[in-house]
This record gives sequence, structure tokens and C-alpha cells, in this order.
Amino acid sequence: MLLAILISNFAGNILLERFNGVPSEERLHWRTFLVKLGADNLKGARNEELFVSSQKSVYIVYTVLGGVCIYIIGKDEYDELALTEVMFVITSSIKDACGKSPSERLFLDKYGKICLCLDEIVWKGILENTEKDRIKRLIGLKPPNPTEI
Amino acid sequence: MAQPFLKKDDDHDDEVDYSPFLGIEKGAVLQEARVFNDPQLDPRRCSQVITKLLYLLNQGETFTKVEATEVFFAVTKLFQSRDLGLRRMVYVIIKELSPSADEVIIVTSSLMKDMTSKTDMYRANAIRVLCQITDGTLLTQIERYLKQAIVDKNPVVASAALVSGIHLLQTNPEIVKRWSNEVQEAVQSRAALVQFHALALLHQIRQNDRLAVNKLVSSLTRGSVRSPLAQCLLIRYTSQVTRESASNTQTGDRPFYDFLEGCLRHKAEMVIFEAARAITELNGVTSRELTPAITVLQLFLSSTKPVLRFAAVRTLNKVAMTHPIAVTNCNIDMESLISDQNRSIATLAITTLLKTGNESSVDRLMKQITTFMSDIADEFKIVVIEAIRSLCLKFPLKHRSLMNFLSNILREEGGFEYKKAIVDSIVILIRDIPEAKESGLLHLCEFIEDCEFTYLSTQILHFLGIEGPKTSDPSKYIRYIYNRVHLENATVRAGAVSTLAKFGAMVDSLKPRIFVLLRRCLFDTDDEVRDRATLYLKTLGADGAVEDMKEFLFGSLDIPLVNLERSLKNYEPSEESFDINSVPKEVKIQPLAEKKAPGKKPTGLGGPPPAPPSTIDAYEKLLSSIPEFANFGKLFKSSAPVELTEAETEYAVNVVKHIFDGHVVFQYNCTNTIPEQLLENVTVIVDASEAEEFAEVASKPLRSLPYDSPGQTFVAFEKPEGVPAVGKFSNMLRFIVKEVDPSTGEAEDDGVEDEYQLEELEVVAADYMLKVGVSNFRNAWESMGPDCERVDEYDLGPRENLAEAVNAVINLLGMQPCEGTEVVPSNSRSHTCLLSGVYIGNVKVLVRLQFGIDGPKDVAMKLAVRSEDEAVSDAIHEIVASG
Repeated sequence: MLLAILISNFAGNILLERFNGVPSEERLHWRTFLVKLGADNLKGARNEELFVSSQKSVYIVYTVLGGVCIYIIGKDEYDELALTEVMFVITSSIKDACGKSPSERLFLDKYGKICLCLDEIVWKGILENTEKDRIKRLIGLKPPNPTEI
Repeated sequence: MAQPFLKKDDDHDDEVDYSPFLGIEKGAVLQEARVFNDPQLDPRRCSQVITKLLYLLNQGETFTKVEATEVFFAVTKLFQSRDLGLRRMVYVIIKELSPSADEVIIVTSSLMKDMTSKTDMYRANAIRVLCQITDGTLLTQIERYLKQAIVDKNPVVASAALVSGIHLLQTNPEIVKRWSNEVQEAVQSRAALVQFHALALLHQIRQNDRLAVNKLVSSLTRGSVRSPLAQCLLIRYTSQVTRESASNTQTGDRPFYDFLEGCLRHKAEMVIFEAARAITELNGVTSRELTPAITVLQLFLSSTKPVLRFAAVRTLNKVAMTHPIAVTNCNIDMESLISDQNRSIATLAITTLLKTGNESSVDRLMKQITTFMSDIADEFKIVVIEAIRSLCLKFPLKHRSLMNFLSNILREEGGFEYKKAIVDSIVILIRDIPEAKESGLLHLCEFIEDCEFTYLSTQILHFLGIEGPKTSDPSKYIRYIYNRVHLENATVRAGAVSTLAKFGAMVDSLKPRIFVLLRRCLFDTDDEVRDRATLYLKTLGADGAVEDMKEFLFGSLDIPLVNLERSLKNYEPSEESFDINSVPKEVKIQPLAEKKAPGKKPTGLGGPPPAPPSTIDAYEKLLSSIPEFANFGKLFKSSAPVELTEAETEYAVNVVKHIFDGHVVFQYNCTNTIPEQLLENVTVIVDASEAEEFAEVASKPLRSLPYDSPGQTFVAFEKPEGVPAVGKFSNMLRFIVKEVDPSTGEAEDDGVEDEYQLEELEVVAADYMLKVGVSNFRNAWESMGPDCERVDEYDLGPRENLAEAVNAVINLLGMQPCEGTEVVPSNSRSHTCLLSGVYIGNVKVLVRLQFGIDGPKDVAMKLAVRSEDEAVSDAIHEIVASG
């Protein structure tokens, strides 16, 4: 299960979050934990450099993309390597939606499109699509190219 | 040519540091949402409003039911628009709003239309949204379409239906299980993701059917799986099948090992790693089987990708617990990871090295760790401390350097949890390594001179009071302790007074000096400190028996604090003083085995489990409210519920055994799982012919047992007073069954008498033992004395391993394992287990079990029992001899 995808700016403000199967009373704990994790480790990190950690039985993969920090939490089959795959899809789709690694402003400008991308990538904790080109077509309600299948 | 300029403008815009959502306010956005009702829809404007709504939701903003429902209604109007971008947004916002809105059903018809649309993308999205809002009835209506969608040639539609199936399986399993054939077909799909989703769903459908999972794995491991993600799932399922079938194989050939080994050569790193991990987790994995997996993990250790390094070192860390020698080859690669930028990787590398290192490498490792410790966070430091503690217990000769290391880091800055981990480690080392005692105590004394944590200071003072007087020169600790009386807060001062008293009680030569110090404490500003000083001066100065005084000062409080707290809260001030003997002593409170509330699944995020209900109190109240049992006296113990029926049968029954001094009451918890039936006059007919010492004295039937509403019926037996009688009871559930009309819920007037055979139930020796722990076993053992000690040796015969033998004896005696001694390190050849409990008649019992295993796995055990009554010590031996 992909328990959470959280995107924040460098100041630790949450820009976008999607939790799956995490009770609301535990969400605050995770927000705080992830933002602190980012503050401790992401300073000076290269763009898209991957960071990894584990907490109890869950895995966390996080990175910097332009002006935003992206965190993904998973458990069971979504271990650190599967999360890397998910992270790759998310970063490439966001770059695709924004035309480049987004600044915070650009990210917010393309907010609707990014929400659609995430909706195509993860649905209720399960990875659904992994190809950025396909995702690009799907968010416009266009069928995938037959060659992509 | 215009393009670069445009881009530049874009960049320029980016630098303006304001958010497009600046000043966004829920009320205003809800106002804006009225555009959804416009007769002439503006798709762009509508999309913008939906984006704002999404932003608010993602910011944690909550909508009231009325607000959400209002927006939801308005959004449904947008189905009229033919704009594709807007339609896509509509699907998202419906999913986001549906949990908080009422009447979500109003979008059903629009979605059903989309679901049968010729546009594939409408179908895929409508399926996902419908599955989010559907209930059982609607699902039956759309089932036909979903089954078609699973085998749709468009992979997006198929995936949408399959993923929906995975979610719906949680709420409507019986419907989704009917899709097996279609899902099976989808597993063969050429589209990688469809195969991945289909495999996940098929496995979930069949997960309780071991044979079917075995077949699934067998066929797929022979064929080709396209997606690396699906291949990883397959490896997981294979590993599960291997684990379950391992005990059945006699030949030594492990099923599917070749498949796992083959996956180590897959082109996707994800698959290689999954296979390596699966191999390392095989039951009883041999060195030969491990080697190829360790080799690929070793290669990953030097990967440029941090995720791979992390995954590899994490897996090797686990392997090091069971097969340290297999991991030694990776030590050089692991040492280079100590300086890894990712501190998680560095910590895992260090702790793995600490597990695999030999005695000669300890000093070198400690040097590396010293530099490493300064730049990691407390949470990582704690992991390292725990590893160092285990290392020291493994190599006691190295205690000097390890203890020095601990004392050095104790002086550095750090939070409470970190300091507590260090102090705990020092305390454990002092307890387990006698040579480390004096230096360890001094380190602790130095620490409390400048300790900012009250809790730690008091813990150390308490520990000093127990261990300090037994050292060669107890007087050297007095200065540190008495300093606390001057320099600390009241809590620590009170702790210091108690510690001083313990020194006075144990060391006669120090007693006069302790008196002087205690007298000074009589003038303390805090009343607790003064009270303690007065009490101890009186106790130490009294001419009473020395043993009584020591029992008072050192005796462990043999009742759980939580029980004491509850009893004190319930106590109402009256003429009758509070009786500490009335506090229940049972440590573990057994939760009632009630049917789990549907939908309440563990979150898996390691959130704190809910506190167990106070069932002992509940049982006591329940039993005393039944007149037939009211004169049975005080309830000694209530067992955990024992299931008397298989899972998922028509009637679920479990029994709780309540033990009184002269009686036993069986409480049968019954649940009727058939909606069309009402049971009345429910009783359990108990045949006690194999329980000679028991005579049935009362039975309390259950008047009515409607569907899914648990009820209880009781049967009471008399038994010889104070005697731990044992026996076997067979049970038959007898009742009158009445048909219920499901539409009205009304039962028919006439019923039929029926019976239902339940499993047998046993009253065993362990039922007469309360699990009551002691805080310090050695002290308790020594203070109990050898007067009533009984020692004997037993041959337990061939066993799978030591852990199994240890568990068997613990379960047989029903006692509380102390100091974590119930855990047997793997591959151990000998083990000591310490148990404590209270036997019927309120007799304290301590047991020391020493196990040894030889080549053909024959286990021998030495059992030493100390109790307050020699008859009880003999009884414990009888239990073991006859068990």
C-alpha cells in the first residue's frame, strides 16, 4: 500500500498531500515527521537526488524537484525500490506537466494538472500507471498509444 | 523565434514569489462554485474553481456535510459539458468530495452512462469513481460491466476495473470472488500493468486457498511475466508458498528455489533485490542457498543509487542476526558505508558490522563509531547504542572499552530517549557482567551530577540503592547521592533519600553516617522528602526484624501499578482503610474475544494500539451480578477465551474459564452468524465424565441470541477447595431455533430444538497460575530463599529447537516470563528462562529453567522452583512431570 504522497515547499508548508489508509489522527504525526526529515537531509541536495529511510515497518523515499520536496511512504510490496519507481513516475509527470522542474510558483500554477497526474499514478494506495506519456494522454482523457501497451 | 522570449517571461514570472492561491478562502470558493450552475458553462472557469477546491482539500480544509453536498450537486451539472479537460476534473473532484457528501448516489446515473460509453476513457474513469461510491446493491447492478471491463482490450479500462476489484474485495468479497475467471484471463494480458494488477487481485481472491496459490505460482513461474512489478509480486507469493510448504518436504530440495535464484539474473534491479531478499528469508536457509543472494546484495552495497545501497544494507542487517558469518564477506564494503551521506545507510552499516564483527575488530569499530556519532540524529544513535549493548553482552571481555564509550557519549549533548538508551545499556551491562559493575556505577554517579532528566536521575538512584551496597566500597557512592539532596528538585531529592536508606539498611558500618544525613533531610522544604526521611529513620532505627526492614525497602511491589492505580481511584474514603491485598494481581488483561468491528483494520503505521479494556474488572462485575455465582468468593483468575468452533461456522462460541477457590465457571460467549435465525434458550450441555473432581452446580441459559449480537451462557462446577483439579469437558450447544424473515426482521412464533457439537475444553494446571512478574528476578529469587526450593532434571525428548521447548514449558506452567528470557537466540545450544507467578492460594512462585540441546535435538531441562510453600514447589514439578 502506498500510504502517502506529500509535496511541500522548502519552508515545510504542505502544497499537496494524499493519504491512503492512514487515520486522520496519525496524519499530523506524518506531516511533522516528513517535514523534519526533509529539513534535516534535503538542504543542499541535488535536483532529483533520491533519499531513503525507514520508520518501523514503512519505507520513505523523498527528493527535491525544483522548488518542491516530494515524499512518498509505502509499506509491504511498496518497499524502497518500488517507491523509487513511483517517485520516478511522479517527478517525470510533474516535469511534464510544468515543462521543467517546477519552482513553487510554477507548481501551484499547474496545480490542477498535477492533481490529475497523481490521480492517474496512484489510486487509493495502489500504483496504477507508470508511463509519463500515457499519463499525459490520460489526463486529457485521450486513450494511450497502442505502441505503449 | 518567439518561443525563447516566452520562456524567459515564464521564468521571470516564476521568480515572483506569490502563490496563485494567495488569500484563498473557503467561503469565497464555495461562492465561485455557483458557476457550475450556469446555463452556459465556461469549462475553463469551472476547471479553475475545481482546482481551488482541490487545493483547499489538500490543505486539510474540511467541508461540512451541507457544503460538500451542495458542491457535489453542483458538480453533477458539469456532466453536461463535452469539454474533456473539465470532465477529467469532474471525476477527480467527485472522488475527493464523496466521503464527506450526502446523497452521492445522485451521480450514479451519469456515471453509469459514462461506464457504457463508447469512449474508453470515460469508461475507465467512471469505473473508478463508481467503485468509490458504490454499495453492495449498486455493485450487483454494475457487476456485468465490471467483468467485461476486466478483459477489455484497452489496458486503461482493464486496469481501472482490476484496481477497483482490489478495493472492492475489502467491502464486497463475495461479489469480487465471482470474477475469478476474468481476472485469470487478465493475468495472461500482454499489457504489463494489467498483468500486475490482475496478479495482485487474483492472489487476494485466492489467498486463503493454499492449493490455488500454489497452482498460480507454479504456472506463472514457468511462464513469462512482463512487468518487473508483477515479477516482484510473484517472487513474494513464491516465497510465501515456499515457507508454507517447507515443513512438508523431506527430500531437502526446496521448491521454487531455482526460480528465485534465476530472478537474481533479471535485468530489473527491483526484481533482483526482491529475489535476494526472498532467499535470505527462507526458513532454515543454508549457506549454499544464501551465497548467490549475498553476492548480489554485496554488489548493491557499492551502487551509486542510495536506494539500492539502503535496500542491500537493510537486508544484510537482517541476515546478520541469523547468519552473521554469511555476511562477513561484505564487511569491507560495509565499512566504507559508515561515511555514507545518507545517515540511515550509515547507521544500518554500523549496526550490521557490530553484529558480524569479531572480538578483535571491536576496538577499531568503536574508533570509527566515535567520529560517526557526532553527526547523526538521536534516533540513529539509539539504534547504535542498542547494537553496542548486544556486542558487549557477546564479548564480555571488551566491557571496558565499550563501557568507556557509553560513558563518553553519556556526557555529550542529547535528548531524553537517547540518554535513556545509554543508561539502560549501562544498567544491563552492570547486571550481566559482574566485572563491569563498579566502573558502570561510577559512570552513572558522574552522570547524575549533571543530569537534566528527573526520570533518569531517579531511575539511577533506585538502581544505585540496589547494587551500590553490594560493592566492595559502598561509601564512595554516598557523596554522589547526598549531593542530590542539596542540588535537585523534590522528586530527585525524595529518590535520593530512599537510596540513602537502602545503603543504611544493607551496610551496618555506614548506618550511623546515614542517620546523620537522613536527619538533615527532615528539614527539607518538600513534604514527600521529609516524610520519607522520617519513615526511614523510624524503620532503620527500629529494633524489629532486619528481614522485615529489608523486605520493606527492597521487596518488589508484587501488584501491577496500573491495577493499584485503578483500585485507588475506585476507593471511597470511609472507616474501612484501603486494603492493598484487594488489588488484582493479574498482569495481562485478556481482551474479550468479541467479533471484530468490520472495517476497523490495523493501519500498519505503527500507531499505538488501543488500550485493552479492563476485562478482569468487567468479568468480576459480570459474575458477581449473577446470583448463582455470588457466593463463590473472590475471582482468582479468568483465562483467555478458548475457541470452541472453527472460524466462519454458523455459530461462533468461545469459552472463558473463571477460577475460584472452590469453583470453576465456564462463560460461553456465543455469536449467531446466520441472519435468518433467532436462537432462544441457549445452553451448553457439559459432559464432565473425564473431569472426576468436578460436579456441576449451576447453569445459566441465554434467553435469546439474535443474529450478530453476542451473548453469554454460563455453567458452574464445584471442585475441591484450593486444589488445582484438572479435567476434560465435552460441550454441546443446545437451543431452540426460529426462522427470521429478513425483510421484516421478525421471528416466527414456533421454533425447533437443535444441537450443535462444540470442541472439547480442558482445565489445566496453568489455569491455577496467575501471570505476575517481578521487576528484578535475581533479588526476588534471593529473597525467597532456598527453604522451599525443589530442583530436578527432565528429559523433554526430541524438539525442533530450543525455542519450541522453552515455549512449551512456559505455556504448560502459565507463568510470566521475566527479563525477556522467553526469547531464545537462534541456534542457541543452551538457554536459561526465568518465570514468576502466583499459584492458587496466593502463593508466590519463582522458576528457573535451564535448557540444553544436543546433536539429535534432544532437549534436557533443569527445573528449580522456589515458592513460599514447599507443597506448591512440588506441585510445579508434578505439572512438568505429567505434562
